[in-house]
Amino acid sequence: MSEMWINMGPQHPMTHGLWNLRVRIDGERILDVDPEMGYLHRGIEKISEDRHYNEVVTLMDRTCYVAGLNWEHLYILASEQALHITPPERAEYIRMLCAEFQRIGSHIMWYAAFVADIGLLTPYLYGMRDRDLVLDLFQSFTGARMTYEFMRVGGVRNDLPPGFADQARKVLDWLTDRFREYDQLCLGSDLFHKRCDHLGVLQGPDAIAHGVTGPPLRAAGVKRDLRKDRPYSCYRDVDFDIALADSADVTGRYLVRMEEMRQSVRILRQVIEWLEHHPGPVLAERLPRWLGAPYAPVGREGYVLKRNYAKGLGFSSVEEPHGEAQAYVVNEGSEHPYRVKFRSPVFANLSAARQYLVGYRVADIPPIMGSIDPCIGEVDR
Amino acid sequence: MQPDDLQRSLAPKLGPNLVSVETFEGLAGRVRFRREGALDLFRAVRDDLGFDHLSMVGGIDWVDHREVFYVAWSDAEHQYVLLSADVPADDARIETASSIWPSANWHERETWELVGITFDHHPDLRHLLTPEGYAFHPLLRSFKIHEPEELEVKTRHV
Repeated sequence: MSEMWINMGPQHPMTHGLWNLRVRIDGERILDVDPEMGYLHRGIEKISEDRHYNEVVTLMDRTCYVAGLNWEHLYILASEQALHITPPERAEYIRMLCAEFQRIGSHIMWYAAFVADIGLLTPYLYGMRDRDLVLDLFQSFTGARMTYEFMRVGGVRNDLPPGFADQARKVLDWLTDRFREYDQLCLGSDLFHKRCDHLGVLQGPDAIAHGVTGPPLRAAGVKRDLRKDRPYSCYRDVDFDIALADSADVTGRYLVRMEEMRQSVRILRQVIEWLEHHPGPVLAERLPRWLGAPYAPVGREGYVLKRNYAKGLGFSSVEEPHGEAQAYVVNEGSEHPYRVKFRSPVFANLSAARQYLVGYRVADIPPIMGSIDPCIGEVDR
Repeated sequence: MQPDDLQRSLAPKLGPNLVSVETFEGLAGRVRFRREGALDLFRAVRDDLGFDHLSMVGGIDWVDHREVFYVAWSDAEHQYVLLSADVPADDARIETASSIWPSANWHERETWELVGITFDHHPDLRHLLTPEGYAFHPLLRSFKIHEPEELEVKTRHV
């Protein structure tokens, strides 16, 4: 057979966003792959240098459009360290509530899209139905369903509305039952196993060498979760287990994500319980006045620093639904961050595409790449 | 692991190429090094100290010079370490880390195209986020986002 390169993307049902997977094939066999990124590059790191600290939060929602609150959380933690600000404890718990509900929302979105990729359409509709309940909860306290702009340096924008705890518990009860249903639909289906078992195998040492994190790494049996290993916010105070699988294949990643949603429900019940019994402020009281200042293009004229506040460096790392995200914020004493650098977990997970794909067949590409949960918005930033 | 431990373990290996080890809240420390000792440092940090997972590589433009930084994670210590080196703006190059940590590959491609730092002996230094033939380094301070830039895009596949 003759070898050839084919382009899967930038417009292809497999891609879930704009990117191009160039594949070298011999018949059906994959010999090499070369992902091409950048179709969604918006220069978020560059735009951040021109904005006030709180205005960058708007961009974070757009970084990953299914996990906006996790990215806000990440950026805010790094900014607070750079600006030497401590948020109240209640704000940290509300952030955890946001992060865990967002994890469930993101995983359900992944589930819906992934099973549609492998030809099961019923779970897709079930997933979209249940994700709406999570979005309704977000709407009740942020006012938005997708781009929330909820977290602030020093806390969060507002407290939860009255009656939120009961409503949230109802949603959690509903979801717990639905997770069982999801498993029945997928794990009980021969089609699912034929398309997912023993595919895209990436063992632990390879995964670590190529920077893979999150569910693909835990599916290889590596017990690593930043919420346990390097607790941020108040994760030290809640009780949960790390979701693990040992098959290192597509089915393993499915099992890890499903278990993570159950663990998120477990965390959320504790967080809601805590929030019910600990009223208090949700925004730090002593904040620099300029932090809430309207947009002013201070930095543009040659990036001269107009003010002289305390300098600082901030680093944060959170367990985002896709893996480990990191932010590095350099504060040089003005209202704008001097440099913001984000590490996207999907960026690293996709860079190992050759390790996932070579040796399998063309028809295996959608389930394998789908199992990474590619969110191109955060890869290209 | 504390900054003192890093200093004690790295100083004999790097000699004058180790500039300083600073404290960084939440991290094992911030190691500043000269670029001549890059490979020695990467090897020591991965093999002796156990930071086997390179998480990110990035660059900062300080106008008179540029800084390239690396963040690595140790599974045994449950800690990150930040490594950073200053490179002159008119000769912004450093040895690639991708021979030590394969995960550096894409991060260095991104740093090269956005911040203009060249990684010597990189296996595949091509554009990643910007189009092929894009002649600018957008994250440099001299790049103004409000001025239209002339852009000629050459596609690779034609």
